Amino acid sequence: MKIRRIQDTLIRGFAALIVFALLLLGSLSYYYLHKILIQNAEETTMQLVSQLNRIIENYISYMDDIALMAVNKEDVREFIGNPGADTPRLRDAIEKSFEAIRSVRRDIDSVFVITDDGRAIAATEGGGLNPTVDLRKRFMELEAGLVPDRPSVSSAHVENLVESRYPWVISLVRAVPDGASGKSMGLIQVDLNYEIIARLCRDIQLGKSGYVFILSRGGEIVYHPRQQLIYGNLKSERIPEILSLNGGNLSAVVDGRAILYTAVSSRETGWEVVAVSYLDELFAASRAAEYYFILLSLLVFVSAIGVAFLISSNISKPIESLRRSMQAVESGNFNIDITVNARNEVYQLARDCDIAVKKVRDLIEQNRRELELKRKLELRSLQAQINPHFLYNTLDSIIWMIELGENDRAIDMTSSLAKFFRIGISRGSETISVATEVEYVQTYLEIQKQRYKDKLSYEIAFAPELASLQILKLLIQPLVENAIYHGIKNMEGPGLIRITGLREAEAIVIRISDNGVGMGREQLEALRDGLIEPSQANGVGVHNVQERIHVYFGLEYGVSFESAPGAGTVATIRIPVIPGEVA
Amino acid sequence: MRNRSVLFLFAAAVLAAVALTLLYRGNMLLSSMPEAPRRVTVIFKTVDYRSTPFWGNVRDGVLSAGQDLGIDVSIRGPALESDIQGQIDIVRGAILEKPDAIVLAAADYNLLVPLAREIKRKGIPLVCIDSFVNSDDADVRIGTDSYEGGQKCASALMRYVHAGDTVAVMSYVKGSSTAIDREMGVRASLAGKVKLLDTLYSNADADLAHSQAALLISTTPSLRGIVALNDPTARGAARALAESGKQGTVALIGFDNSFLVLKYVERGVIRDTVVQKPFNMGYLGIRAARDLIRGKKLPLFINTGSVDISRSNMFQPENQKLLFPVAEGP
Repeated sequence: MKIRRIQDTLIRGFAALIVFALLLLGSLSYYYLHKILIQNAEETTMQLVSQLNRIIENYISYMDDIALMAVNKEDVREFIGNPGADTPRLRDAIEKSFEAIRSVRRDIDSVFVITDDGRAIAATEGGGLNPTVDLRKRFMELEAGLVPDRPSVSSAHVENLVESRYPWVISLVRAVPDGASGKSMGLIQVDLNYEIIARLCRDIQLGKSGYVFILSRGGEIVYHPRQQLIYGNLKSERIPEILSLNGGNLSAVVDGRAILYTAVSSRETGWEVVAVSYLDELFAASRAAEYYFILLSLLVFVSAIGVAFLISSNISKPIESLRRSMQAVESGNFNIDITVNARNEVYQLARDCDIAVKKVRDLIEQNRRELELKRKLELRSLQAQINPHFLYNTLDSIIWMIELGENDRAIDMTSSLAKFFRIGISRGSETISVATEVEYVQTYLEIQKQRYKDKLSYEIAFAPELASLQILKLLIQPLVENAIYHGIKNMEGPGLIRITGLREAEAIVIRISDNGVGMGREQLEALRDGLIEPSQANGVGVHNVQERIHVYFGLEYGVSFESAPGAGTVATIRIPVIPGEVA
Repeated sequence: MRNRSVLFLFAAAVLAAVALTLLYRGNMLLSSMPEAPRRVTVIFKTVDYRSTPFWGNVRDGVLSAGQDLGIDVSIRGPALESDIQGQIDIVRGAILEKPDAIVLAAADYNLLVPLAREIKRKGIPLVCIDSFVNSDDADVRIGTDSYEGGQKCASALMRYVHAGDTVAVMSYVKGSSTAIDREMGVRASLAGKVKLLDTLYSNADADLAHSQAALLISTTPSLRGIVALNDPTARGAARALAESGKQGTVALIGFDNSFLVLKYVERGVIRDTVVQKPFNMGYLGIRAARDLIRGKKLPLFINTGSVDISRSNMFQPENQKLLFPVAEGP
C-alpha cells in the first residue's frame, strides 16, 4: 500500500480549494467590475455628450437670434427689396450694425446679406467679398435648401465668400421674406467660427485617447479630431450604425480596439454628437485593482499553504514522534517515556501507549526476577542434596564395610553414592524424566538401606505412562529423606516407605507414605508451617520443594501432608503434566 | 516524496498565477503591453512652414501619429529647401543621437545616399517620406507616386491645349527624386502630343520661378501651356502669367496647395493643381517607423496618392478637407 503523508494530502486539498475559490472570486469580481465600469462610463459620457450638445445648440440658437434680428431690421429689408436704395451710406450702416455684433462675439466669424440679384454685404475679418464668387448662383444654392420661417444649418465647410481667407465655419441661413409676395429676395447668413465647435469637442477628455466627433444628418463629418485620417482612409468610424442608433450606446471593434460609442442627436441642428471611449482605457482603472487582486491572491495562496503546513505538521509531528518511540520499543528499548508535544487525541494515544509499554516493561522485569529466583532455588536444592550428615554417614558406613572386609558391599555403596550425586548434581535442564527421578530416589533409598539394613524397606510403584513425562528434578528425594528421618528412624520394628505415582487428568500425583511413628497435631502443624517458612524441624529440603513447585506451576500445586500419631505419614506432591515435553 | 510535494506546490503556485494573469489581462496583455516611448527623429526638407505649408501639413501628420501611437517625435530640417548640406549635417547629428528610427525626406536623391547607408549600418530603421534616396537602404518609402503625379499634371494640361502646342516644364531642385519622377511622368505622357521645351529649374524659389516664367512667356509667343512641378514654382509662374495677362491663352498646371496657389486656382490663373496628401505622409511615416521598431515587415513603397484640383471641384466637401486642413490635435 502506498503511504501518503497527511501533510501532502492537506496541502493538496488546501491548494485546490484556494485556487478554486480565487478563480471563482476573481472571475466574478472581474465580470462585475467591468460591468460597472462600462455602466458608469456610459452614464458619464452620455452626460458629457448631452451637455456638449446643449452648448452647441445654444450657439446655433444664438446664431439664429442674430439672423432673426437682421431679418427684421428695416435697413436690411430696404437693401434687399429696393436696389435703388443701395447706397454706400446704407451699406455702411448695415455693415456697422453687424460689426457691432461681431465685436462682442468673437465666435461669429461673418454675417452676410445676399440678394437674389447678386448684391451682398459682408461683415467679416478683412472686409472684402471674394470677387470670383458668383453671388446669384450662391443665392440660388442657399435658397434651395431653405424651409420658410426656419433656419438651415450647414455642415462645417470652408467659407469662400471672403476674399483674404479660407475660414472653416458653420453657416446658419435665414430667408428675408418679402412683405408683398411672400417670396424671399434676400438671405441672411451667419457664420460661426468652426474652431469654437472644434475646441468644445477637443476639450472633452475621454480617457487617454478617447474623443468626440460630430456627424451631420447625412452622415457627413462635421467635426472629427482626425478628419484627415478619415478622409485618407487611415481611420474609420461606424457611421451608418451610429446614425441608425439615433442616440444611445454602441460597442464596436474599430481598427483592432474595442470602443464604446455614445451618441446624442440634436433636434435643433440634426447633428449627432458622438463620444468614443476606448474600453482598454476605461478598464485601466481596474488594472490597479487587478494587480492588487493577483498580488493578494498569491499572498492568500502562499499563506494558505503555510497554514496547511502548520496544521499538518501540528497533526503529523506528534504522530511521527509517537511512531519513532514505538519503533524504539520495537527494537527492544522499553526504558523510554512516550510523550508527545500535543494537546489532542494523539496525546491520549501516546499516553495509552506509554502505559502499555510500562506494563510490558514491568512484566518483563517480573519475569526476569522469577527466573533469577528459580535459579537460586535450584542451587539451594542442590545444596540440600549434599546434606553433610548424609554424606558423612554414608562415607562412615563405607569405611566400616572396608574395615570389616565387606568389600563387595563397599563397592555397591560407593557406586550408589556416585550415581546419586551424578544425577543430583547434573546441571542443565531443570526438568528430568519421571524415570530418571525415580531412579535417583531409588539410588538414595539403596544407600539408606545399606545403613538401616532390615529396618528400612521400600516399594516404588509408578504408572508406566508417567515414565516418559517430564518432572521438576529432585522433588521426591527430600520428602523420602523426611520420611526416613522423622518416621522410620525412631520407630521400632521394620519401616516401609511406599512411593506411588499416578496421573490424575492433567496432574501428576506422587505419594510418599511411611508406616512410621506418625505425627501429633502440633507436629503436623509445625511441618505444614515449615512448608511456608523453612524451619529447623525438617530442614530446608521440604520447604524448597514446596517453593519450587509454587514458583514453577502456581499455588494450586504443591506438597501436602497427612499424618496421625502411630499411623504413619503421607506426603502428596501434585504437579501439572508439563505439556509437550516428552523425553 | 518531499521533492514531489515541493514540485507540486511550485506547479500549483505558477498555475494559479498564470491562470489569474490570463483571466485578468487576457488579450489586453498581448495587445497593449506598456512600452517605453520610442524616440523617432524626423528630418524634413525644410521647416519653413510659412513659405511651404506642405511641410506644415506633414508636421501635423507626424505630430498626430506621435500622439496617437505614443511616440516621442523630434522634427528637424534646414530653413531652406535648397540647403542640401544643411540637411546632411542635421542627419549626421541625428545618427549620433541613436534614435529608435529615422524618418527622412531627402533633399537630394544622390547626396544623401552615404548617410542612408550609415543609418542602415548603425541598425537604425529608416523610413523615407516624400523624397527618396538613390539606394535601397531605406526600409520603406512613403509618398506620392511622383511619376503618377506627373502623369496627372499632363492629362490635366491636355484638357486645355491642343496637339502640337508648345509647352514648358518648370521643375524645382535638380537631383531631387520627386522632381525627377514628376518630370518623367509629365514628359512620358506628353511626348509626341505637344512640343516640349527644355526644363527650367527654379530651385524651389518663387522669385526665380517668376523671372524664369516671365522671360519664357515674353520670349515664346507660341507658348500654350506651363507645368510647374512644385508649389513655389507654381506661385512664381502664376504671378508672371497674371502680370502678362495671358492667362486666357497659356494654361498653367501647378503642384501642391498653398493659399496663394489656391487663390490663383480660384482666379483661373492656375487651371489645375495636383495635390498630394502630406498629412498622410507624415502620419504613415511615423506609423511605419513604429512598425519597423516592432520588427514588422512592410512593403517597400506606400503610395499616399494625389488628387487633381480645379476651380470647379475645390470646394467639394472631400476636397475642402484636403486643401484647407484644419489644425488638428491639441
